[in-house]
Amino acid sequence: MKLPQGAKSELTFVGSLFALGLLVFWDTARSEVPAFNLTVSPKVFPFAIALILMGLCALLFIRIIRGDIATPEGLEPGDPIEKSDYKTFSIVLASLFAYLLLIERAGFVIAALVTFFGITVAFGNKRHGRSILFGAIFIVLIYISFTKFLHVSLPAGILKGIL
Amino acid sequence: MSSFHSLLDGFASALTLSNLGFGLLGTFLGTLVGVLPGIGPALAIALLLPITYTVSPASALIMFAAIYYGAMYGGSTTSILLNTPGESGSVMTALEGNKMARNGRAGAALATAAIGSFVAGTIATAILAFTAPSIADLAIKVGAADYVALMLVAFTTVSSLLGSSQIRGFISLAVGLVLGLVGADLQSGLARLTFGNQSAVEGIETVPVIVAIFALGEALYIASRFKEEGWKILPMKGKALMTRDDWKRSWMPWLRGTAIGFPLGVIPAGGSEVPTFLSYAVEKNLTKHPEEFGHGAIEGVAGPEAANNANAAGALVPLLALGLPTSATAAVILVAFQTYQIQPGPTLFLTNGALIWTLIASLFIGNTLLLVLNLPLVRVWVQLLKVPRPYLFAGITIFALLGSYALNTSTFDVQVAIAIGIVGFLFRRYGMPITPLILGLILGPNLELQFRRALQISAGDYGTLYATPLSKVLYLVLIVVILGPSLWGLRKKIANRKGHVSK
Repeated sequence: MKLPQGAKSELTFVGSLFALGLLVFWDTARSEVPAFNLTVSPKVFPFAIALILMGLCALLFIRIIRGDIATPEGLEPGDPIEKSDYKTFSIVLASLFAYLLLIERAGFVIAALVTFFGITVAFGNKRHGRSILFGAIFIVLIYISFTKFLHVSLPAGILKGIL
Repeated sequence: MSSFHSLLDGFASALTLSNLGFGLLGTFLGTLVGVLPGIGPALAIALLLPITYTVSPASALIMFAAIYYGAMYGGSTTSILLNTPGESGSVMTALEGNKMARNGRAGAALATAAIGSFVAGTIATAILAFTAPSIADLAIKVGAADYVALMLVAFTTVSSLLGSSQIRGFISLAVGLVLGLVGADLQSGLARLTFGNQSAVEGIETVPVIVAIFALGEALYIASRFKEEGWKILPMKGKALMTRDDWKRSWMPWLRGTAIGFPLGVIPAGGSEVPTFLSYAVEKNLTKHPEEFGHGAIEGVAGPEAANNANAAGALVPLLALGLPTSATAAVILVAFQTYQIQPGPTLFLTNGALIWTLIASLFIGNTLLLVLNLPLVRVWVQLLKVPRPYLFAGITIFALLGSYALNTSTFDVQVAIAIGIVGFLFRRYGMPITPLILGLILGPNLELQFRRALQISAGDYGTLYATPLSKVLYLVLIVVILGPSLWGLRKKIANRKGHVSK
């Protein structure tokens, strides 16, 4: 049987959600409830949610095979679905991870600037000098207004003393 | 009479300099996020949740409510001049509004949208002020089992009315419920789905999830798909004014839009998409100028724009009186209440009466500010759309990451945010609506709590869940909602309408 175009990747996605349900089920089954008397065990909800999630995924799985392919956001039903551009996707994702790695080591300003720059590159900005300059001004302004005026604490990192 | 007095007191405290300042800031930010496609009021409020640690509850809630209303105004501008709805409540506005702009009538379209929003917002807020306390009085009698039924109805309607596929909505809801499970169970202390991670025992914070699923998910999705340059903005000639004839054709649609929008906000109908669609359909049937529909009929702008503002006010009724959010934005406002240890619900008017009346008074003030801000300044808002997209998305991402980290100054929340960002990307790619996930995450733990409470009272007898008349009615509604869409195909129609817009 030939699958409709785009079905394979969606089946993988729905399959992974099914696996999530399985994970919830397994984790609930192996956990031990503390031994005191409860009318409703803390396992009831996780079991129910896991079963519902797996059931729905199985149902959707069948529907996809029968041709009910998802319409990506922003497209019309029946529009050709072009392949995702995983190069730009990876640049954005890498920029997010850069923030995660740098925020406590280098401080908010540096971490945010790296992320800012990475995302402008992913979105096709060619004027790199300008994007770093704008980004730096924007981020320093945010840093000052959040730490000084809203009293939200953000790590100064290696720029401690300068800002 | 006491409602009226409390409202006057509310005006007195809403008009203090600092509260007025926060209201003004909120209207400004709300219009901003409404104008910019891709960011909605739910995301804007979620990004600002960290300020709840330093700002007083009244000021923060005034600002959040102003953002909610402001986004409804701003969304119409983008729909009319750009044909890209700024948020989901403005999808219908784009149909006729953009055609009007093409015919050189952008000014009239913007004016009927803004004035209609003002009229609807004011009427609806007045209804809110005078009905919410009595609804809260009734709601005191609502028991735990009724709450279980109410939440199940809210889940079901939101999941099946949004998006084009009912089953995908339900899967989104289930994933949200799974996220809500993570952490130590409140009653027994049992660690669920933590896999030995200490940070996870505290549970997953809602702020990083909301922020990431909107902002990071959108950034990843847009980066992987659309390679277009900028937006094509239609020029706006003259001032935002309406002719005598425009007024004559607009006032009835405004009132009808209000009448449709408000009640559909009170019941969980899944946000502003359904009421705006219904309002558009009604105006199309009642118009004396059917030949103009599809080519720029002013009724088609006036009705839906009034409906979406009235809908926003209506959604505040179940939020304040029952603690039950019926849209993503209302859900985020609920989180804001909870960070102040205030639980919206039947007793809210007794325990925090002054706060709520200040909030309601500020809605009237905010609405007036928005009308004053929007009409003369519409050109300024349009300039915002000239910010290049790389900068726009980079800026939003920075705010999102900042918000996730600042909440607990913990990198665990940033990890959660990135993971959820990827989930947001996948949901967009595979056509799953996002609001059900957010509702599941926020209301899931609440549902479990009420469920257990009901069964504790009945000593484990499951019959208690459908013993009251209210719960019986609600389960009937539930069945209709689940089976309904496939019977009358309403969602199909909405999907088709949306189709026309983005072409």
